[in-house]
Amino acid sequence: MKRSAAEIIKEYGPFAGVEAVHGVTYDGTHVWFASGDKLNAVDPADGKIARSIDVAAHAGTAFDGRHLFQIAEDRIQKIDAATGKVLSTIPSPGAGGDSGLAWAEGSLWVGQYRERKIHQVDPETGKVLRTIESKRFVTGVTWVDGELWHGTWENEESDVRRIDPDTGKVLEQLDLPAGTMVSGLESDGGERFFCGGGGRGNVRAVRRPRRS
Amino acid sequence: MESLITAAARALEAGDPLGALNRVALRNDAPSLALRGIAMAQLGDLAKAKTLLRSAARAFGPREAVARARCIVAEAEIALVSRDLNWPVKTLAAARATLAKHGDLGNAAHAGHIEARRLLLVGRLDEAERTLAELGASPLPPASLVIRELVVAGIAIRRLKTKDARAALDRAADAARLAGIPALTAEVESAKLVLDTPAARLIERGKEHPLLLGQIEALAASQALVVDTFHHTIRKGGIVVSLGTRPVLFALARPLAQAWPADVSREALMTAAFQAKHVDESHRARLRVEIGRLRAKLKPLADVSATKHGFALTPRKTRQVLVLARPVEEKHAAVLAFLSDGEPWSSSALALALGTSARTVQRALEELARSHKVQSFGHGRARRWMTPPVPGFPTGLLLPTPLLKT
Repeated sequence: MKRSAAEIIKEYGPFAGVEAVHGVTYDGTHVWFASGDKLNAVDPADGKIARSIDVAAHAGTAFDGRHLFQIAEDRIQKIDAATGKVLSTIPSPGAGGDSGLAWAEGSLWVGQYRERKIHQVDPETGKVLRTIESKRFVTGVTWVDGELWHGTWENEESDVRRIDPDTGKVLEQLDLPAGTMVSGLESDGGERFFCGGGGRGNVRAVRRPRRS
Repeated sequence: MESLITAAARALEAGDPLGALNRVALRNDAPSLALRGIAMAQLGDLAKAKTLLRSAARAFGPREAVARARCIVAEAEIALVSRDLNWPVKTLAAARATLAKHGDLGNAAHAGHIEARRLLLVGRLDEAERTLAELGASPLPPASLVIRELVVAGIAIRRLKTKDARAALDRAADAARLAGIPALTAEVESAKLVLDTPAARLIERGKEHPLLLGQIEALAASQALVVDTFHHTIRKGGIVVSLGTRPVLFALARPLAQAWPADVSREALMTAAFQAKHVDESHRARLRVEIGRLRAKLKPLADVSATKHGFALTPRKTRQVLVLARPVEEKHAAVLAFLSDGEPWSSSALALALGTSARTVQRALEELARSHKVQSFGHGRARRWMTPPVPGFPTGLLLPTPLLKT
């Protein structure tokens, strides 16, 4: 297992009226983050909020190319990114104990915080297809280049780690500075991860290690 | 953080404890227990809140030290508001240290304020002041500032420094406005009433009138001979004769001061000092002895001279003799004074605060209950005593809510 300190490239926020960041995703242009009763789109170039959608947003956020997916209470809402309308909802696998959310390979991947689990879920029905066990509280999930990464928070410490999707084994780990929480994780497909900063109400860009 | 916990915490912060309970009512994981506990506290069920917060602290365990410490602080605040003064102080101090270590300075300060309020309540002013000083002048959110200034004012009032008290209360009022919490504004207003409500009676040459706290303070600087029934002292300027351990001597001094410049008959003095219905020769002999002792004690301040019918006070270098007495003279005035904060007290907490035995307090409470001056509810160890509702406000709960903040 490779372990190193996370390199924070940039910080966005704190934003006016945002108490906490609960989930993060990226649509190719904007970083979206969940702030309780809103989904906010931030332009990573200037760090300003470009647009907001009024929708319950208590935990993980994901984007499938057209729709935003957002966990609220004990369900996952499918939202039209253009209009902001909630198109449908499915029950969340953790019945409200859910945290991170990612979209990949036609499935939703849902972190179940205290159970330390990641579920692969059918986005149409909410059916759990399979479950991966993690070692620590799961706070955010993302897929990039066939790699499964998730954020953790436990014992006042956070890290971003790559795990083997079959065995749950930790392959690589980026430690965040003490007291820095990761709530929500998304890759931009390139060299950046966007990490929600929990109660600090900010979003951090963390460098993804280059594959050699 | 988890979805439903976030939703419940947001409901709680928005002042909707029932909405919070709806979301986590059936869950028993640590954050749910904590949220349920705080919601129950806000709904007024302090006993249930305490149990839930204790379970939450246990469920968080040492691996989630900050969340656990916040639960402990919340439990301590509930204990303070329910006047459970036996609650373990060391646990609170440890939780405060944990919060400070992990950078949660707001809740660490909150824990310190709870400690200081408890010390103030039991009359340990120096320690309360030291606890506040330890917290330093770090910037605090307005709600915390209100509590801090209320403690500062409380200490100043107990020390009879009305100017300091008023200044602290003005700062508290400003902070309460900023915080925008009506219960806090109300608490500051009711604390201000203390400064504008007579705190004592002044008896001078047989006439009496009420005194405000500020006027009592001014007495200390006057050249009058003051017989102080609060502290059982006789003083003038900087000279203080304490008769706290000599109740008989004080019982003689007071009627002498009250009658001055007239004298007091032997019979009246014997009745006052010995509570004797029929006085006999042995009482007369004893009176002579006690007057001799009083004379020796008062030597720097006054002489006690014999007259035809009894004795009279002759103060030195002053033409003013004052008696400072409680607004209402009541056998159990000290017990009532504590209960007048409008909070439910256990008899053991009262005993701790008064520095006397639980049995003595129990007897006083039963006597006061018979004359409908206090009321009780609950049974056994859970029994609590209150004065009948008076205008005044219970100490507000400002529990460390944001469990998800890091």
